[in-house]
Amino acid sequence: MKHPDHRESIFQEDAEIISHDCHPCEQYVLRLRAPYCAAKARPGQFVHIRCGDALPMRRPISIMRVGDDRIDLLYKVVGAGTRLLSQRRVGESLNLLGPIGKPFPLNPERPRRLLIGGGVGMPPMIFLAETLKAAASDTFVILGSEIPFPFLPKPSALLVPGLPDSVIGAMPLLDDWGIASRLASLQGFAGCHQGYVTDLARAWLEHSDPGQLADTELFACGPHAMLEAVATVARDYTLPARLSLEEYMACGVGGCAGCVVEIHTPQGPTMKRVCVDGPVFKASEVFPV
Amino acid sequence: MTSDDIENATESSRLTSVFCGMTFGTPLVLLSGCVGFGEEYTRIQGFSNRDVGAVCLKGTTGEARAGNSPHRVYETPGGMLNAIGLQNPGVDAVVRQILPGLDFSETRFIANVSGSSIEEYIEVTRRFDDSPIDAIEINISCPNVKEGGVAFGNDPAMSARVVEACRKVTDKPLITKLSPNQTDIAVNARGCIEAGSDAFAVINTLMGMAVDIETRRPVIGNDQGGLSGPAIKPVALLKVHQVYQVCREHAIPIIGQGGVASAEDALEFIIAGASAVGLGTALFYDPLICRKINHGIERYLLRHGVETVSDLVGSLTLNRGRPFQCGC
Ligand SMILES: Cc1cc2nc3c(=O)[nH]c(=O)nc-3n(C[C@H](O)[C@H](O)[C@H](O)COP(=O)(O)O)c2cc1C
Ligand code: FES
Repeated sequence: MKHPDHRESIFQEDAEIISHDCHPCEQYVLRLRAPYCAAKARPGQFVHIRCGDALPMRRPISIMRVGDDRIDLLYKVVGAGTRLLSQRRVGESLNLLGPIGKPFPLNPERPRRLLIGGGVGMPPMIFLAETLKAAASDTFVILGSEIPFPFLPKPSALLVPGLPDSVIGAMPLLDDWGIASRLASLQGFAGCHQGYVTDLARAWLEHSDPGQLADTELFACGPHAMLEAVATVARDYTLPARLSLEEYMACGVGGCAGCVVEIHTPQGPTMKRVCVDGPVFKASEVFPV
Repeated sequence: MTSDDIENATESSRLTSVFCGMTFGTPLVLLSGCVGFGEEYTRIQGFSNRDVGAVCLKGTTGEARAGNSPHRVYETPGGMLNAIGLQNPGVDAVVRQILPGLDFSETRFIANVSGSSIEEYIEVTRRFDDSPIDAIEINISCPNVKEGGVAFGNDPAMSARVVEACRKVTDKPLITKLSPNQTDIAVNARGCIEAGSDAFAVINTLMGMAVDIETRRPVIGNDQGGLSGPAIKPVALLKVHQVYQVCREHAIPIIGQGGVASAEDALEFIIAGASAVGLGTALFYDPLICRKINHGIERYLLRHGVETVSDLVGSLTLNRGRPFQCGC
């Protein structure tokens, strides 16, 4: 009897908290020892975490980086689960399931990649950027936040043609990898574009020649309104775009159909599970014309 | 008996039982709607369908159903609300495309049948009758669809008509899944036995709601949903006890369910009258819980010198010597 290929692709681990750093506005960067998950994780995938024993449901959190035997997560306190999570200390262990979900597919015919992350949608973009280090000059990252960024922005050493001169703030880690990045916020943070991530995306695309545009693909993760705006940008420039979505989850492994979103395929609309059919979907299928 | 013996005791015949003629390797049953069509949880390393006596597949209807709009699930104190809306590909796709991919050497698979009309229940049951499925569970207790489901299950006469109609088209074991959202579950059970039900699943979810105070709207897309998880366990236990009073004289077994999350919970249900115990919401918290519960039950049996699980079923002694009526 042949069993499905997906058998045994997700691990349950009691992951030790290696570090748990607090950033402004209850944002946390959590580093966990989770060797099985770390060995298999790909950008776009997430872990399903048991935040506290009193909670019947786990919480899905995107993976931001992986190391030899560790994974890094970024989350913001938004409810009971993430609040309990924020109280867990270094040395304690957290039960997680992962890695879960279909990662971002990379199309070799579109090697020029624009990554857009908003708020707690930044982590998958950082993970994706790290795997694109070898193609650093073809990768551009735009990050947006309405609260202080969970890192100290610094003026970028990398030039990005087409953007206003005043927009020089970047994520230092990305600069270190040789990947250009720029930041956007309505809050008027120094060095950041005062406006939307999609303003910067449009400026960058506007400055691209037709050959470059033919090589370009968009990737985004963030709030619904931002994703919709990214889908509009992609449509305006007839570019493919992949979006990573969020929904409340129960099982996290495809069993309950609790996490579905409406996806518009050529055969008509269908309900797809964010956990195992996604979380990455085509922008044109999430936001049809 | 040393503690080592107890530690080493696994998968013994103590846990094996016969349920409606089917051999269950353990008394655990994975519940409908929580494990998709049987192969979703096998994604997790260490999970095995062999650890349970049976797996109930997702509620299946005559035609494909898209289900309800998001949000479909939401955590509540000690439990969760769900309103999936019976999303399924339709019985034809289940029988033709899904069942051939299931490994029947690992466990028993039970279909979960739903519909908006008696005709639909008959049609779906007939299709499953002509399939390798081991048993058929009639879901007359789904709170999340407009027609059928709990609308049938809350009316004893209607429940019996659905069971009778399905009985006519299958010889496979027929399990009726009862709703807790009704006045007297025992009356309903009695009618279903007369109509030909071989077993019961007790209980399905309780109806509930959660409100988003910022938007002043229900959180669940369907407005209301079914409450499951530890929060409903006491309700479920009482219902199992009440249905058992009717079932014992007919030797009709019950799959007790609702909030089971430990071996102790499972034992409570067995003592109250359940021959098998269902796990749904607990899997979301701990997908590898089955082995732990099997172990726990095993250890309890050894500790109490009870030969098999079956010997424990319905062993409850009431304090007042008769089924209690009310709590006031
Ligand atoms: C997400 C979800 C989906 C469900 N879908 C079905 C279904 O399709 N058919 C059915 O008979 N019961 C369904 N149920 C009810 C369960 O099978 C079970 O009876 C109930 O959840 C109580 O058990 P628990 O507390 O262990 O989850 C569903 C429950 C949940 C949580
Ligand atoms: S969370 Fe259960 S199917 Fe996605």
